[in-house]
Amino acid sequence: MWNGPLVKIGDYRYEIPKTYRGINGNLKMKVPALIYASDEMITSIRKDNAPEQAANVATLPGIVGKSLAMPDIHWGYGFPIGGVAATDIEEGVISPGGVGFDINCGVRLVRTNLKINDLDKEKIRRLVDELFKNVPSGVGSQARVRLNRSQLDDVLQMGARWAVENGYGWNEDLEYLEENGCMDAADASYVSEKAKERGKSQVGSLGAGNHFLEIQRVAEIFDEEAAKVYGIEKDQIVVMIHTGSRGCGHQICSDYLRVLEQAVRKYNISLPDRQLACAPVHSKEGESYFKAMACAANFAWANRQMIVHWVRQSFENVLKEDAEELGMYIVYDVCHNIAKFEEHIVNGEKKMVCVHRKGATRSFGPNRKEIPAKYRNVGQPVLIPGDMGTESYLLKGTEKSEEAFGSTCHGAGRVMSREQAKRRWSGKEIARKLEQKGIYAHPASWVVMAEESPDAYKDVGQVVNATHGAGLSLKVAKMIPLGVVKG
Amino acid sequence: MYKIIEHTADIGIEAYGKNLEEAFENAAKGMFAIITGNSKIDSKIKRKIELEKEKDEELLLVDWLSELLYIHDVEKLVFGEFKVEMNDKLLGYAFGEKYDRKKHKYGMEIKAVTYHMLEIKRNKKGVTIKVLFDI
Repeated sequence: MWNGPLVKIGDYRYEIPKTYRGINGNLKMKVPALIYASDEMITSIRKDNAPEQAANVATLPGIVGKSLAMPDIHWGYGFPIGGVAATDIEEGVISPGGVGFDINCGVRLVRTNLKINDLDKEKIRRLVDELFKNVPSGVGSQARVRLNRSQLDDVLQMGARWAVENGYGWNEDLEYLEENGCMDAADASYVSEKAKERGKSQVGSLGAGNHFLEIQRVAEIFDEEAAKVYGIEKDQIVVMIHTGSRGCGHQICSDYLRVLEQAVRKYNISLPDRQLACAPVHSKEGESYFKAMACAANFAWANRQMIVHWVRQSFENVLKEDAEELGMYIVYDVCHNIAKFEEHIVNGEKKMVCVHRKGATRSFGPNRKEIPAKYRNVGQPVLIPGDMGTESYLLKGTEKSEEAFGSTCHGAGRVMSREQAKRRWSGKEIARKLEQKGIYAHPASWVVMAEESPDAYKDVGQVVNATHGAGLSLKVAKMIPLGVVKG
Repeated sequence: MYKIIEHTADIGIEAYGKNLEEAFENAAKGMFAIITGNSKIDSKIKRKIELEKEKDEELLLVDWLSELLYIHDVEKLVFGEFKVEMNDKLLGYAFGEKYDRKKHKYGMEIKAVTYHMLEIKRNKKGVTIKVLFDI
């Protein structure tokens, strides 16, 4: 239970004032912290120490604006999950803790020309089973292709483009990925042997935990105009992919936490929590981390790209129709664990800052050059995955999100530990419950199924409504699952 | 001996030993109990781990567990028994076998060992370690 000060400063906005001295009474916040949430969510947000973590982040050297937290804020390592922090690139720091272990964990949405009437229960079951067969999932899942060292270096430096050039997907796919599926800063010589070794057998695998692959139905449209631009309509069938950079990214984060841990002493930075380890953006350590982090981000884009290829193949195999005829185009791809250099307005002036998004999604409004031309009038698509068996959302980015360095929420956020969830339900029981709701699930593990029960998470609808209310992103469509492949 | 501790989004262990070596061994046991959901692991394969000794014991612990996690991920091995010796280096042996979905069930995929709430404490009875994992 966290009992610090939370001052309501506007609709859906609660501030921890700069004067707050922290649990130990010696915290020195450089800026205030701001939590976006509805009034009803505050009790649950106070249940863990996440607000204290948002206050801790406010002590980082060179932090600008405010230390921000989205409505799906929950306790993380160092930074809270749902945290956003921008730092000055001259005087500020970069922190692996502000990105997380699963670098470029993200979401991709693929549309189809299919409507709900085109699929019956049997077809959905066959599609899910086919997806399960074609996309490796589960603890320690290994990809169908094992890369050699030079191929892996290419993946790390080229991202999704490597996959497309090697036959996994279509050329136009790249246009609809955040950063076009590649961060140019990537330099594979900054990635350890260990991270490469882990990456070789895992590109093109879903992994475990909260990652999933879902066949969904568009259940509700909130914004006809934007939905039309995104190619989305009611009762349409879409596919959502939620996964990240696998062991490769985890290793890169672990390696650099170790490096930056030392850098904290070297640069004489004082931190309230060891896990906030960081280094000046332009120091050797900071730059090295960023180059390696970009490699992990690229790995994740290649990973999701290969999965898209197998998703298209699976649909072709079951429905005996060409993926192009099925209209299986990518709507968009977003990352929700990342650090980037972006231009934002700080104290009334345009400035390059280092934006950390840890469990937060970029939410750029209309006219930003980073958005595909087709979407530039409406703003970027923002993809919010629900947890297994609950609804997911398609939102649009807004100009208003600029106050949060162009960011919004990323998902639901856990409210119950995995052990509690396992004790309360069995995996089979959950599958039965989903079946009653008309959802067919094929998990790699029944235990993970129980751990990931929808009731173990915050209501994603509540989270999305809070960011809609705050204006950080606006609702376009709601999707509900028909079939789930779980890691 | 070890005990599993939980957080909302994460999991960790509290491990005990009469000395630092034994506490390190038990921490590793706990980590693989989480990975395999407490399955029985036979000692068929041995792996040797050598680490430069850190002044900071907590960092050494993270290194030790991270190294095991790395071997697990790359070689698809799970371990159930450990032997740790500390001189001017940390010399560790891990005994285990190939991961088998049927035999070792499915525990959790541990992404990484974290520094959060990391603790090594000593009292009259011995050493207690607290470490959390990102999953």
